[in-house]
This record gives sequence, C-alpha cells and structure tokens, in this order.
Amino acid sequence: MPRFLLFYRLMVRPLLREPLRTLLTILAIALGVAVVLAIALAGDAATGSFRSSMETLAGENELEVLTSGGVPEYVVGTLATLAYSIRVSPRIEDYAVITDTKKSLPLIGLDLVAEGSAYAQSAFQKTAESQTQSAQVFNQVGDADDIWVGSSVGYRTSDRVELLINDRVRKYTVRGVYPDSNGNESAIVMDLAAAQHALGRYGRVDRILLKVPETPSLGDWQLRLRTVLPAGVEVRLRGTATNENRRMLAAFRWNLRLLSYISLIVGAFLIYNTISVSVVRRRPEIGIVRSLGASRGVILSAFLGEAACLGLAGALIGLPLGRLMATGAVRLMAATVESLYVSSRPGAIELNGACVLLALAIGVGVAVASSYSPAREASRVSPVEAMARGRREYDARVHKARDLWLALVLGLAAAAASRAPAVAGKPLLGYLAAILLVAASALAMPAFVDALTSVASNLLDKVFGVEAMLASRTLRASLRRTSVLVGALSTAIAMMTAVGIMVGSFRQTVVLWMSDQLPADLYLRPAGFAAADRHPTISSGVAEEVAKLPGVAAVERLRAYEISYEDMPATLASADLNVRRSHGNSDFFSGRPREQVFAELRDSNAVIVSEPFTYKHHLKAGDSLTLSLGATQASFRIADVYYDYSSERGSILMDRQTMLRFLPDPAPSNVAIYVSPDSQLEIVRAEIEKATAGHRVLLFSNRDLRAEAMRIFDRTFAITYALEAVAIIVAVMGIAGALLALVIDRRRELGLLRFFGAATWQVRKLILIEASLLGLLANLAGLALGFVLSLILIYVVNKQSFGWTIRFHWPVEILFGALTVVYGVTVLAGLYPAQVAVRLNPIEVIHEE
Amino acid sequence: MPILSLQDVSKDYLTDGQPVHALKGLSLNVERGEFVALVGRSGCGKSTLLNLAGAMDFPTSGKVLLDGVSTSSLEDNGLTRLRRERVGFIFQSFQLLHTLTVFENVELPLLLAGKRNPREAARERLAWVELEGLGDRHPHQLSGGQMQRVAVARALIHSPSLLLADEPTGNLDTMTGNVILELLKRLAREQNTATIVATHSLEAASLANTLVRLRDGKIEELTRR
Repeated sequence: MPRFLLFYRLMVRPLLREPLRTLLTILAIALGVAVVLAIALAGDAATGSFRSSMETLAGENELEVLTSGGVPEYVVGTLATLAYSIRVSPRIEDYAVITDTKKSLPLIGLDLVAEGSAYAQSAFQKTAESQTQSAQVFNQVGDADDIWVGSSVGYRTSDRVELLINDRVRKYTVRGVYPDSNGNESAIVMDLAAAQHALGRYGRVDRILLKVPETPSLGDWQLRLRTVLPAGVEVRLRGTATNENRRMLAAFRWNLRLLSYISLIVGAFLIYNTISVSVVRRRPEIGIVRSLGASRGVILSAFLGEAACLGLAGALIGLPLGRLMATGAVRLMAATVESLYVSSRPGAIELNGACVLLALAIGVGVAVASSYSPAREASRVSPVEAMARGRREYDARVHKARDLWLALVLGLAAAAASRAPAVAGKPLLGYLAAILLVAASALAMPAFVDALTSVASNLLDKVFGVEAMLASRTLRASLRRTSVLVGALSTAIAMMTAVGIMVGSFRQTVVLWMSDQLPADLYLRPAGFAAADRHPTISSGVAEEVAKLPGVAAVERLRAYEISYEDMPATLASADLNVRRSHGNSDFFSGRPREQVFAELRDSNAVIVSEPFTYKHHLKAGDSLTLSLGATQASFRIADVYYDYSSERGSILMDRQTMLRFLPDPAPSNVAIYVSPDSQLEIVRAEIEKATAGHRVLLFSNRDLRAEAMRIFDRTFAITYALEAVAIIVAVMGIAGALLALVIDRRRELGLLRFFGAATWQVRKLILIEASLLGLLANLAGLALGFVLSLILIYVVNKQSFGWTIRFHWPVEILFGALTVVYGVTVLAGLYPAQVAVRLNPIEVIHEE
Repeated sequence: MPILSLQDVSKDYLTDGQPVHALKGLSLNVERGEFVALVGRSGCGKSTLLNLAGAMDFPTSGKVLLDGVSTSSLEDNGLTRLRRERVGFIFQSFQLLHTLTVFENVELPLLLAGKRNPREAARERLAWVELEGLGDRHPHQLSGGQMQRVAVARALIHSPSLLLADEPTGNLDTMTGNVILELLKRLAREQNTATIVATHSLEAASLANTLVRLRDGKIEELTRR
C-alpha cells in the first residue's frame, strides 16, 4: 500500500498536473489500439468468420459433389439409386436481386418434393417451434413462380416479389417464410426445377449435398463414391469452398492487419518520448529518491508503471473506439472482398473477452515495451550526479556516430531480407526488411537532424530571423527528443508515402492495363448480382442479335465460371479470341504478339493463365494443368501468361469454341461490342438498347466501364488511406504533446526572451517555426524512407502476397498534396503550445528557478 | 527629466486568493548615470519594483514613467518596444541560453529588435566587460563570473537608458561579486546609464550614489550621496 501511495504521489500526480499532454499521449495509444482492434474485429466479421453464402440452408450434409460448369442431372439419379442409405440433396445456387429494395440474396433451388420435411427436420433443429414452422413451410410445394424467403427479408406469405435473376425480371409469390436466425440464413428458396428454369441451367445442378451414414469414415465414403461418379465430377467435404476462400483471403487480411500496426508503431515512438521527457524532468527527483533508499528496481518499475498506466488508459478508450471504427471498416472490407475475392455476407461484429484482452495486451504491452529503454536509463541514474547535473546528461547521451553505423548494418540486413523468397506463402522477410528499415531510419535520425539543423540554422536566421535561429538551435540542443519526434512523424509519413506510391503505381498499372484489355467501344452485362465469384449471364441469342445490328462491327462473348483448382478458387473464362485477335492489344509475359498466342489457343487444348494464377500454383508457360469440366476431365497446355489485375483469384482463359466443347451453355457473362469506324457510337448504343429492351442488361461505354473499375479500385484502397490517416493523426497528436512539453520545459527561456524585448508574436513565431521545422525534417526523412519502403511493398510484399507485377510510378500530385496537408497540420499542431508559450508570465517563470 | 519616475506606485497580488500588497504608495526618481542600490529583506518588494521599472508589469495604482512615457498607457507592443529600446536586465542566475554562443547571447536583444549585423556591437560590449576572445564559447565553458559579465554585456547591447539588476552577485563568490559591481558602477558612469541594483550586498550599497532601503513595500530610507 505505501508503494502505491508513493507511486501515486511521484508518478501519477505529475501526469495529472499536465492533463492535456497526458490526454494527448493516452489518445495516441487509444487510436493505435482502436485501429488494430477495428481491423481485427472487421476482419473477423467480413472475412475471418467467412462462410460462403451458398452454405445457406445446407443442413447437416457432410459431403458435396460438384464440378466446373455444373453437375449433370443424371448424377443425382446415380447417387440416389446406390445401395447405400445416403440422402441426396441437389441444389441450384446463385443470386437474385429484389428489385424493390435492390437487396441481393442467395437464390437456392431445392428439390422440395423429395426432401421438404426431411430438410426441415435436419436444417432447423434449433427449436421445436422453428422445426414445426420449417416443416410446414417447405411441405407446400407449388408452382414455378413460388418462392420461400427468410423471415428477416420482411415479406409475408402471399406477397408478390419482383426478382432480377441474370438479365430477367419476374414476379414470384411468397409461399412461406422460414426462420432465418437473424438474417444469417436469409435466402430466396425455390423448387429445383423452377430455379433451373429461372437461371437457364437445364439438365444440371450446381452442387449435390450428401448425408452419409456415420460408418465408414467420410474419407472412405469419398473413395467409394468417386468410383461411381464421372471423371470430372468431384466429391469432397462440404464447406471445402469456405475453407478455400478463407485461405484465399488470408493474404488480404494479413496485409491489412499489418497496416493497422503502423499507428501502434507511431504510438510506441510517442510513449518512448513521453517517458524520456518524464525521466529527464525528474532526474533530480530520481536522485533524491535514490539517496533516500529507493533501489534501481523501484525506479525501473515506477517508470514502467507510469507507461503501463498510460497504456491501460489508452486501451480502455481504444476498446469502444475500436468497436465504433470496426463498423465503418467492415463495410469497406466487405465491399473489397466482394469485388475482388468472393461474394460473402459479413458476420456480426463481436467484441468478446478475447478482444478486450487483445486491446489491453496491445495498449499496456506497447507502452511498457517502448518505455523500457528510458526507464532503464532512469534506474541507472547516479543519485549525486542526478541532483547536481539535472537534465544536461540526457542530451549528452546521444551517440550519433555509433547509431549511424548500426543504421547502416540494419539497412544492409534489410536489403538482404528483401531479396529472400516468401515463407509459407507469406512475405515475412519482406516485412522484416521494412521493420529493419524503420529501425535503421530511427537510428540514423539523430545524425540526420543534427546535420540538417546545423546547416539550416544560419540559413533560417537570414530568411526568417532570429526566431528561426533560436528554434533550430533548440531542436538541435534537444537532439534526442527531436530525433524521437521526427522519427515518429517520419515513420507515419514514410508509411503514407510508401503506400501512396504503391497504390499510385498499382493504379497507373491498372489504367495502362485497361487501355490494352478494354479495346471495345461498348460493354454489355446482365443487371443481376455480380461479384468476383459470381458471373450472371445474358440470355443466349442476345449477343447474336446485337452482332446483326447496323454499325456493330463485331461482338466478343466472354463467359466466366467459378471453379476450384488445386484447393484454391479460380475463374475459368472463355472469349471469342478471333475477335480479340483483330481488335485487342493483349500483353504477355513472353512478349510474343497476341496473334501468335491466340492462334495457339484456337481449336486446341491450350489456355493462357493470369499472373496471380501462376504465382498461386507455381506454374509457368509450357506447363500443363488438368481441369474438371462438366462430367469430364481434360488436360490443357499453358500457352502463355498474361497480366491481369481484375481479380486476385487467378484466371484461366481459353477460346470460346474450346470451352463449348466441354461446357455447352452458350450464354455469355458479358459482351464486348466493337462499333464500325464509320458509325456513330450514340446511334449504335441506342439501337442496342432498343434490341435488348426485354432484358435487364447494363450497357457501358468504354469510358464508363473504366471509370467504374477505377471507382472500385479506389474503394478497395479507401481503408488503407484511412489507416494511414489515423497513423498521421497519432503522430501529429504526438507532435502537439511534445511541443507542449517543450514549451513547459523551456518556460524560463521563453520568459527570458520577453525580458529581452521579444514581442508575443515573436514567441509564437518561435514555437510555430519549431513545429514547422519538425514537420519539414519529418517530411524529408519520411519521403526518403517511404520511397525505399514503397520498393519493398511493390516488388516484395505485393509480389509475394498477390503475385501482381506493378510498374513503379510516382503519384506526384497525390504525394505533394498529402505531404503538404501533413506539413500544414504539423504546423497547426504548434498553435496551442504557441498560445501556451505566449500566455506564460515572464516574471513568474523567471523567478521559479 | 528623470529616466525613471515612480509616482505613488502601489502593486497588489493575489496569492492563493489572498491579497498581497507588494508595494504601497512608493515614489522614486532615478536620473541618467545614477547608480541606485535597492536593499531590504526578502519579500520587501525589490523585485516587484524592478519589474515595474522595467515595463514588465503594471502598477495597481500610481504611475511609472520610463523616459517620460507612462507604462500604464501602453499596450503589449508598446511595452515591448519600450523594453527593447530603454531597458536592460541582469539576473541573479545569469539566464544565458545554453544553446547559443557568447556572441549570440549578447546579440539576442538586438536580433529580437530586428537589427541586422549586431556582431560589432557585441564585440564592443564584450570588450567593455573584458571578455574579448571568448565570443565563440558556449556558456557552459565559462566560469560564473564570466557568465555574469556576458549577461552584463547582453544587457548593454542596445545602449539602454536604464539597467536593472536583480541580485547580480547572488550566485557569485564575494571577490567575483565585487568585480561585477565595480564593473556595473563603471559602466553606469561611462555610458551614462541609470542602474538599479537590487541586492543584499553591503559592497553594492557602499558603491551606490543612492541607497534605497525598502520595508514592507515602502521606502524606509532614501540616501543620496
């Protein structure tokens, strides 16, 4: 108890005497904790608890039978007539959009006649009431326009609902409403035949779910069933797709999580600075307490305790803040997941005990770890020296030359780490290289600050007057403190610069790529729900009708299927390569002309694959891959590898005629339309709109499509920018707090200036120039470090995480704008400390000492 | 006209909510070149008088005329200008800026006043205090006596009409303190600068043309020699 009392008197009370500065430090930690927590919570909700929407109403079936392009319907009969007690549940799976609300929901086609009551019994075991309800709901099989909906959708029995499916709109009648566990199981259910009709998937089903007896094992059942299935049809554990998607999303989550740690790193710098200042200010006190019998351990634990208090307070504020931020983050993350990876349904954000522990561990852990060095220094203070010399030793203990050498060694280690390959598919050594560079930069900071302030001092004096000279001298005199502050802000700026260059380069690469890949004048696609793994189709015949219209030179039909290749999701696509050959401008790894590559694909089992696909599956041009297509399996030679930035999933492209040999469904997913050079685009567009009037299709001009693509691109990186902004805010708060501390520590000097004739505006100018110098130094260091980090992000982290080749590009305008804003905000952060300095009573502060 | 005229000056403070009457109806005139010693116990109002004389503070009542200008009639900018041009300060604990060299410390008031090229003036003032050749050193490389000489040079850099010294020998040994007092006296005479020294030192009191003894915020004794 006496120790706690002493701790309160000697450590906590001084913090309370400077409430604003203490609050700024706590808020900096709180923001760091909140961001990490928000990304973890949002990640769990948007991807971590990822469950394929198509698992809706999947019941307790253990196995699934599927293949690319759909399982032939006869397989259902084959399985149902086996001499085993197996429940066979064929399903059609897609999406429908409720036109009134624009809400898209899974559309599930079930064989309601065969399994109505059985399904209800197995799928809804939660309550006796829901069991009865479900049994009643699905026992009423009706017409082709009957649907059943989850209760959370908000319809009642007999309501009429208009649904958009692919490119068709049709009215359906709600025949029943089933309990859907607060929306987790919400879907639109229709009879299998009705769903096949609505989607045009005659003679095939998307998946067959199987419930098999408990013995033998599921592995044995898989082996047994494989013998009766056609070659291309696979039997696997149900939910495999969910696991595949989780694996695919791992890199996305991993990178986002690491980005969220930036604010925490910046916060760690600031805690280090806060405790360092605390140690310096209390050197005489430490000396006194030591001379009165306090051990080194007591001093060490007192300062670590001070940091822990700040960390704990930060974590407690960070918890609700993180929960709040997660709400916004989950929306952004879910949108990115849907456009780049897979259609999914974000789960609920759950702030559980583990999250609370995570926040506390992060807040207290980072605070204690970053304060260890100054706390240790405090514990080593010699009592006599501390009482006699006070603060001067602090500034003397900067070893510029030694730290510069260490920085060089770390820089070389970073260069070596950046050249190492991925570890278990993750760019661990790339991240290590980035961390080493940040550490090297922190170590080089005192030499950098010293050199620059030394050079700048005279120049500043000439340009901005004596206040600037005093400011630069002050910063140089407090080299360690200045270096830590510049280190904190420059780290945040460096990450902003690095991510800005990476995203800017990526954007520019995509813009250039689109100019090659989108050569058509108009693009047609169904209005139905589309996502990275969902490819609604346009009714067959529409493209052919459009091709006949006057002014249309050619149409290129593209069909895409969602497939699984070697336990990873991928997209299988086909295109009219003869059209593309004459109009397109594709870009290949080999550098060969597109005509030559496409000629190899015509009438042969040859494909081209996207760059991310080769990276994920370690393939290259000339290798072979085996694809399950409908009931058959076929081997394809990889003719070449193409650059593709439309999705991270990985794509395989073949000629349309080749695909139709295996998957005869002619309906295209979208159509590229080339307008004759002698025709007017708007006239042709109007003709196409007239010809497709009976279908719900979307017609984009080339420019519109590119703009839409860039909108999705920018939305994808919105969360990245948000994370960067928080890191900058944390750093600027640190600058404000540190300037405040600097003003308080130098109040005697500032008071003295008033005695010597300094006007209040000169004192204000002095503080603002200090803030401005800190901002300038941090911008310069941050820009240099950010450039090097951007190379690691582009050529190591991105490549090893996603497999994309990004061409380096300086996004000059964005960087200039961002750095200017950061600089401006840093100067503004000096306004309040400047006001505090102006308000100091010179007579009081002079007589304090 | 006296360079400093305090006319029935009172100064009250609030300390912990309680009024403290630091000066009570005090009047005093100081002429150019006059060397005034201000003596009295701690808390008798010496520092308050110096602050009012140096335009660092306003009287609660009465008038402080510095070179004929009433300080109460001026805003902050006017007071700042008055200090810059007419007043020099010397403190007990030297109050040098450790980040600046001796030259830069001495030049500081001129630079704050926006004057360019103050080096020659600084060199000259350092010669006055016999510190030629030490201009490029930093304060921590000087002795206590040398630091106070630098403070004197700094206080005189802009040729003030009034020099205010608050316990200038308080942090020095007797011998060094006496040297500093002699120096102040000599400079007051040579530069025709009115000098007010708040002190406990008997040596200072004996050197002064005028001895002002304060007690409880009032002049108890005024002796002109």
